[in-house]
Amino acid sequence: MADPRTIETLDLRKSFGTTEALRGLDLDVPAGSIFGFLGRNGAGKTTTIKILLGMTRPTAGRARVFGLPADAPESSVEIRRRTGFVSEDKELYEYMTVDEIVRFTAAFYPKWHRDLEQRYLRAFELPLAGRIKALSRGARTKLALLLALCRGAELLVLDEPTSGLDPAVTEEVLQALVAHVASQETTVFFSSHQIAEVDQIADRVAIVDRGRAVVAGELEELRERYRRIQLVFDGGAPQPAFRAPGVERMRREGRVLTVLSSAGADRIIDEARALNPVSVDVVPVTLKEIFLETVSAED
Amino acid sequence: MLWRKSWLETRTRFLIGLFLLLLLAAGNVLEYPRVSALIPAARSLDTGGGALGGLIRKAVELQHDYRGFIWWQWFRQNLTQMWTLFAVLLGTGGLLSQTSGGAASFTLSMPVSRTRVIGIRAATAVAELLALALVPSLLLPLLSPAVGQSYAVADALVHGACVFAVVLAIGEQIVADGSRYGIFGAMTAEVYFRTGGLPWPGLFVSAAASAAMLYGAAINIAETDF
Repeated sequence: MADPRTIETLDLRKSFGTTEALRGLDLDVPAGSIFGFLGRNGAGKTTTIKILLGMTRPTAGRARVFGLPADAPESSVEIRRRTGFVSEDKELYEYMTVDEIVRFTAAFYPKWHRDLEQRYLRAFELPLAGRIKALSRGARTKLALLLALCRGAELLVLDEPTSGLDPAVTEEVLQALVAHVASQETTVFFSSHQIAEVDQIADRVAIVDRGRAVVAGELEELRERYRRIQLVFDGGAPQPAFRAPGVERMRREGRVLTVLSSAGADRIIDEARALNPVSVDVVPVTLKEIFLETVSAED
Repeated sequence: MLWRKSWLETRTRFLIGLFLLLLLAAGNVLEYPRVSALIPAARSLDTGGGALGGLIRKAVELQHDYRGFIWWQWFRQNLTQMWTLFAVLLGTGGLLSQTSGGAASFTLSMPVSRTRVIGIRAATAVAELLALALVPSLLLPLLSPAVGQSYAVADALVHGACVFAVVLAIGEQIVADGSRYGIFGAMTAEVYFRTGGLPWPGLFVSAAASAAMLYGAAINIAETDF
């Protein structure tokens, strides 16, 4: 039976000298998902991607893509045969023209979609005879995306695909990505520190911080699970030790006690009633708030 | 397609090298009448003792005929020096040098092994170096009638091939000049010039050194984190 997970990492570690880029990263990316890989700069996103594509070898732990070990040279070639990739810097061969790099890339992929190529060339308004070194950053990103999308890949790995782009081009790129995924059976794994775009297109997310996944799951489920509970007291707020699961963070400010829960609000509210608050408010939490709370909680 | 990529990356350096070497080869041939006119006067010079004097006497002696002139000026000096320079220039620009520019990520995302990438890159450089050694050398027999001389195509091919066969100029650092296995001696094929035999020991040592270095580079690239 085929592995339902396109990407799986288990206790993945990578050190560069004394610097630990990954410190036991666990990830499960189900087939067919659009997986947002969120983290601050330097959190370990690019290192993870490089390990998945065989560009960097892990120090310890396991990384598998399509069930194949990412650190074995032969299986790594097979992984790349089935994967489209857009790097963070979008650097391509500057001495080539758009047409040359499209032909160059197409030659490696038997399932290359010529029809998509023509469609994206028109949609992105890329000049076939134009040299890559003369392209703007936006045009270069669109070209890199075209080269990834037309491969007929089962997996798209996009490292900060919209970094450095203006909002209009960002929207154009994201729309192209969503439209592509809707028409093809593709898993998308994209890293970003732009929470809004992950919120816009991802159905699953992992938040990585300092080389570890601190939050992971379906985006809708996270939105359901995460709640901010605000308790107001007559006098100074107490500092209770809740037994209910999922208390991620507590903050006391004067008469107000704020609790961030990752397991709903009901059980915490039940416990909090014993503290006689004068008011209890429960508000949903956005992905941005989850990100900021979980990442800053690590500081 | 990797072949084409390698060609696109090296063609400017290769074509500049080819143009310069063709120019130099033509210049060597066309210079012969002027040099040959100076040889009788040079023979009567008092060059004194010592290494420099010996070298001058050797140069004058060898260049008294056209074949010696070509060997001394072209195969022993100009081609060997310029070819070595372009061997280094054409050898640069592989995966590691792409890292700073970022394009290495794109290359490494392709479904090909690193060994194949550097193998093709090395093979392209070797093919271009072969052309740099042979094409300008073959210009010598073509141009020689212009100065009333002739030069054997076989000589041009053998000498050019010997320069090429010593693929890595760095081999000069490994094996001392003048020794039985001297790389420089193999490059200039002095043995062939004097006796008609080929400098097999030097060719073998340089080929082995080249293969070892290429293998070392492949291992290094395979284990590098990009």
